[in-house]
Amino acid sequence: MSTASGTQIKGVYAHLDCLLTGIDDLKSAGITGWTVQAPLPRHEIEEAIYEGRPSPVRWWTLIGAVTGLTVGFLLPSLTHAQWPMINPGGKPVVSLPTFAVIMFECTILIGGLATFAGMIVHTGLPSLGLPKILQDPRVVDDKFTISFIGAPASQRERIEELLKGSGAVEVTHGADAIYEVPNA
Amino acid sequence: MDDKYREANRPATYAAANRDIIRPLLTPTVMWVAAFVLATAAMVYGGYCWYLQITWGMGVAGIKHPTFWGVYIVTFVFWVGIGHAGTLISAILYLVRSRWRTGVYRASEAMTIFAVMTALLFPALHLGRVWQMYWFFPYPNQRELWMNFKSPLMWDVFAISTYFTISSVFFYVGLVPDMAIVRDHSTGLVKRIYNILALGWRGTNKQWHSYMAAYGFFAAFAAPLVLSVHSVVSWDFAMSNTAGWHSTLFPPYFVAGAIFSGCAMVITLLMPMSYLFKWHDYVNTWHYESLAKMCLLTSGILTYSYFMEYFIAWYSQNPYEQYIFYWRTVGEQWWIFATMVVCNCIIPLVWYKKAWRQNHVILFVVSIFVNIGMWFERLNIVASSTSRSFDPSTWDLYWPTVVEWGILLGSAGWFSFWFLLFAKTLPGVAITEIKEMVEPPVKGSLEG
Repeated sequence: MSTASGTQIKGVYAHLDCLLTGIDDLKSAGITGWTVQAPLPRHEIEEAIYEGRPSPVRWWTLIGAVTGLTVGFLLPSLTHAQWPMINPGGKPVVSLPTFAVIMFECTILIGGLATFAGMIVHTGLPSLGLPKILQDPRVVDDKFTISFIGAPASQRERIEELLKGSGAVEVTHGADAIYEVPNA
Repeated sequence: MDDKYREANRPATYAAANRDIIRPLLTPTVMWVAAFVLATAAMVYGGYCWYLQITWGMGVAGIKHPTFWGVYIVTFVFWVGIGHAGTLISAILYLVRSRWRTGVYRASEAMTIFAVMTALLFPALHLGRVWQMYWFFPYPNQRELWMNFKSPLMWDVFAISTYFTISSVFFYVGLVPDMAIVRDHSTGLVKRIYNILALGWRGTNKQWHSYMAAYGFFAAFAAPLVLSVHSVVSWDFAMSNTAGWHSTLFPPYFVAGAIFSGCAMVITLLMPMSYLFKWHDYVNTWHYESLAKMCLLTSGILTYSYFMEYFIAWYSQNPYEQYIFYWRTVGEQWWIFATMVVCNCIIPLVWYKKAWRQNHVILFVVSIFVNIGMWFERLNIVASSTSRSFDPSTWDLYWPTVVEWGILLGSAGWFSFWFLLFAKTLPGVAITEIKEMVEPPVKGSLEG
């Protein structure tokens, strides 16, 4: 199947080391626009693709935690300042030791929810409308894939050659790249 | 630890792990249906007792002057405590890369969620006027009334709400790739439902990259909650000027007790589950023994704490403190104290013998005793100090009524109802993490 923007190509791998070779070969050839799928997170794949670059999720976590800490201080402080009669034990109206638990809990709560939001944004979830080439059910079992959703037609043969050369057990393009479950 | 148990935890291939763990899903057996009907019946009976309490008022419960904290607070603390082992196993053991955690953490996390859901019922039950529950939470209102953030009860609202929210998110995030596995092994409507639950997860590099980063942060956020939540619960007692409660010993004592009861409950729940679902390759003696060791450590801390309470009462020379501990031991309800000591300090000692620590019958029976003992520990703390307060003219004995026992039974039914549903609809062992223990398929070498 060819789309206006290019051709779908998929290489299926049965072995992790072959997949890693495939990723290295594509990077060496300067070919971009591919997606790797794996049944589990492997640090070797992460290292080969991202070369130690951390996920931006950490910024969501930091901003969420700092926001939570601030909210945890301001909420009790401002409400107590508005209603200063509640002053058990002669404590000051704004008292850090007695607000520490609220500040801690808000840091965890808002930091955690912000991390979840960051994960949703950066993983692209919910991804219910992904192209069919990425909906290969063999990935959850024991297969790894490298897929091109819209490779330039001029590069198809070169890409297929690289995928086969790295040890892909199956290389398909066009409509054949969409896997249908037998007898489903 | 015997190597055979470690090795038994490794399936041959990724596909074998998928097949074994999702096999029992969505196929109710006679045993499961019987347990589910029993749990539902207990839950309905508990609901009926609550209906009686709402209709007739708090008088149908045994809580009256001077004891206004009875079974509802006892059981609230019990269920919050049960939840702690799940977070300990899923978060702290994840951060320290403990390998035995993999087989048990999913069911432990589910236990945490359902235990906290059960615990959350009890402030409502205890409140009486359940329709005013929203007063617990800070919300802008025309009267400009705010709750007292300096009260440990308010800290508890924040602690439990945060704990429930973060534990639920952590649980769900861990389930996403596993629900995608169930989807890809299903057809029709079931496939569509699991696809929505898995948020269309496809295991792309972009997804795994941010997912793993987020998962580490969730573990880091959940880890301090293991220690903080029950510390805050203990301050509900320790911050008040009541003999037997007003002690700095309470936070570590409560946290140790929570982990003790939670680990025992994981054994109680997972052992029959593993037998029924034939998961011996994934949950086995290695895991039960590791949990028993956690129980032994925390049982030792509890025994020390029980002893130290008496030492502090003696050393303080405070007559009220001394009397309450004397009365707990030899007063009218001495047997509550005795049950606590026997179940929490003496019976678990059998686990010091390796052969008994690896015997499944002994493991299961002792775990039941620990659960009973930990409920009695909370009854010993809660009911005694208010029964024998500073003014002898107010003294009275507390004992639960039929309605309170019914609600206690109902809470066990409510917890079991959700856990049984979980066991049949979601992977009870974390498939993706089990796969990480399998040697990856390689043609040559991963050494480049």
